Amino acid sequence: MKTNNDVADVLIIGAGASGGVAAKHLAEEGFKVVVLEQGDWINQSDLPGLRPEYELLGSKAWHPNPNIRGNDTDYPIDLSESVAQVGMFNGVGGSTILYASCWCRAKPSDFRVRTLDGVADDWPISYEELVPYYEAVERDLGVSGAAGNPAYPAGYNPPLPAHPINGVGRKMAEGLNKLGWHWWPGYNSIPSQAHRRQKQCDRLGICMYGCPHGIKSSADVALFPDALAHGAKLITRARVAEITLNEKGLANGAVYIQEGQQYFQPAKVVIVGANGIGTPRLLLMSKSNRFPDGLANSSGLVGKRFMTHPFGTSVGLYEDDLGDFLGPAGEAIESMQFYETDASRGFVRGSKWHIIPAAARPLGMINRWTKGEGTADEEFWGEQFTSRMKDSIGHMIEWMVMPDDLPEETNYVTLDPVLTDSDGLPAAKVRYVTGENTRRLVDFNLERSLEAHAAAGATKAWVTSRNNPSWHNMGTCKMGDDPATSVVNGYGQAHDVPNLYVIDGSLFVTATGVNPTATICALAKRTATYIAKNARNQEVGA
Amino acid sequence: MSTPLQLEFRLSQAQRDRLAVFADLLISGGAGLPAATEVDVAGAWIDRALGARPDLVETVVGVLAEEGEPAEVLARLRAQEPERFDAFAFIVAGAYLIHPRVRKLLGYPGGAPEPSPAFPDEADAYLEDGILDVVIERGPTYRPTPQTA
Ligand SMILES: Cc1cc2nc3c(=O)[nH]c(=O)nc-3n(C[C@H](O)[C@H](O)[C@H](O)COP(=O)(O)OP(=O)(O)OC[C@H]3O[C@@H](n4cnc5c(N)ncnc54)[C@H](O)[C@@H]3O)c2cc1C
Ligand code: SF4
Repeated sequence: MKTNNDVADVLIIGAGASGGVAAKHLAEEGFKVVVLEQGDWINQSDLPGLRPEYELLGSKAWHPNPNIRGNDTDYPIDLSESVAQVGMFNGVGGSTILYASCWCRAKPSDFRVRTLDGVADDWPISYEELVPYYEAVERDLGVSGAAGNPAYPAGYNPPLPAHPINGVGRKMAEGLNKLGWHWWPGYNSIPSQAHRRQKQCDRLGICMYGCPHGIKSSADVALFPDALAHGAKLITRARVAEITLNEKGLANGAVYIQEGQQYFQPAKVVIVGANGIGTPRLLLMSKSNRFPDGLANSSGLVGKRFMTHPFGTSVGLYEDDLGDFLGPAGEAIESMQFYETDASRGFVRGSKWHIIPAAARPLGMINRWTKGEGTADEEFWGEQFTSRMKDSIGHMIEWMVMPDDLPEETNYVTLDPVLTDSDGLPAAKVRYVTGENTRRLVDFNLERSLEAHAAAGATKAWVTSRNNPSWHNMGTCKMGDDPATSVVNGYGQAHDVPNLYVIDGSLFVTATGVNPTATICALAKRTATYIAKNARNQEVGA
Repeated sequence: MSTPLQLEFRLSQAQRDRLAVFADLLISGGAGLPAATEVDVAGAWIDRALGARPDLVETVVGVLAEEGEPAEVLARLRAQEPERFDAFAFIVAGAYLIHPRVRKLLGYPGGAPEPSPAFPDEADAYLEDGILDVVIERGPTYRPTPQTA
């Protein structure tokens, strides 16, 4: 094994959303930062979005499920015991390469579900404590949105104005107003105006295939250039096999594999931002005499409580030409009408809904029709195909109903006993069964979404799926104050290893009813700020 | 337009002729849109689609090799091997939907996604009749916690 001579002040594992936030912050604060990333930089000209066949490429080479993509920079995931399809992207930028950039702060009640609803646990921090960090990352990521949303406490003022809500947003907003239901222009981490290094969004509308113009605020575009400009060292194709400990039980670096060769990167502090699946996988791989069940796992909770957002979708057809070819994709509008708990509905917690332009995925129309409830039995092929497409493209509005998902220890990420990645390291295995509360929540909200379509004037509306893959991976290194019932504290610091921090979606105590990246980034910013401020008192491993 | 992705594999003329029949059964045309063969789905466009999904070559070749009338083969696959039917229909539809003429007829502004940045006042134009005012006037809807209260 070769040892890199340079001891990092901070070693960050994973160059995704959370790794990018931490690398930028700590490099700018003058720390010697090394980032290890198993994937490559993504060349914007390799992204499929400017090709007519982008959707075909997105169904294989750029699919969010690593089992389908099958790159050697990916690790496979055994999903044989998961009802949810699960995935991410592995490379500089992490899953933000493919994310839709729906930027959603969690709401105050999300942090207090035990107090308010008597379920799961309260988070060890509050919305109010997180606000300054939301604001900081919203500036870094060029978040665009409208100020004054009554669904949040006063003061949520995104740094850039909202994108146009476009024809789809307008049409649905009129329907929601008839019902007296909440809606708001979408929030997107995509600049609506030139911002820092990024241009104003070109509205190509294919953001989920990667932004070929480098405009979407993925971590490689919006965060890593600053980290590198401040001296951070980013090593790609470096797959971490193990986080190591010194004799005092402090993390002293990591062993990684690059082109078949093993290296050791020594570090004073280690931060893991390897995604809600990659992080527990790495901790579970880092076994030692001190931690025979995986690093920092004295609670037994590493990998447990896996949550995702198995979200529902419904579509409506509209006679008007909605001009639905415009991005971003990205939210046009969102609704939080059914976000907060109303126990009379037969479940607790709720859902944020949003509209992403549907026309950018014409091939997606096949499943919307042939797997849809009520439409699956109608003929789609043959003479119907062209009329169905003509009725749908530019005339469809799709609601995505994002459910809160509550933690259960029977849903977990573990190491697969058989499957391995291209370096021979154990693959991840996910077990996930949708909880009863989540199922009811999705069903209820989908029914309401059909009412919204009717109010907006849809000629036909139906549920297309009650279990879409969200690609949101959460909960597998729970944060909390009690070392017996959590892996890390409110700063992401491992209870068992004081110079080891977790900063990604693994931290989530509950899933929240919104897309997670805003909260992941705010938590990473808070932890990075804490590490920088407390560096003098920090116990170090190397 | 971008260069098509290259696929070394080539369907024979006989395979293309048979594919044309399958493709027209799946996409017969109408509502102002052409049938699959009218836009050469079994020619250049299936090549281009398979260039993006080379893993589906086997499915296409396999379905074309199924014995029987194409309509019967499709009906059998649909009933007995729905995943194979779905994969075959998907790549045929993929070849059709990337054709520039089809995209145009479906209303897409270009042969592939094109820039269309918003005008400076475009976002406001959607809201200027006060459509958002009623939402604001209803007041806060978030649930207070001990911290917010
Ligand atoms: C298609 C898609 C759409 C999405 N849309 C949205 C959206 O609209 N809004 C939203 O909020 N969220 C969205 N998400 C989710 C969002 O992308 C993630 O929540 C976010 O990127 C997670 O950040 P992270 O830092 O936890 O992990 P990631 O961004 O996934 O980064 C983790 C990185 O760690 C690396 N890594 C893992 N293990 C190792 C190892 N052993 N050694 C070295 N490197 C390693 C990985 O290669 C990866 O690059 C979407 C995701 C996808 C895939
Ligand atoms: S809509 Fe904007 S951010 Fe999305 S891919 Fe297009 S240019 Fe990039």
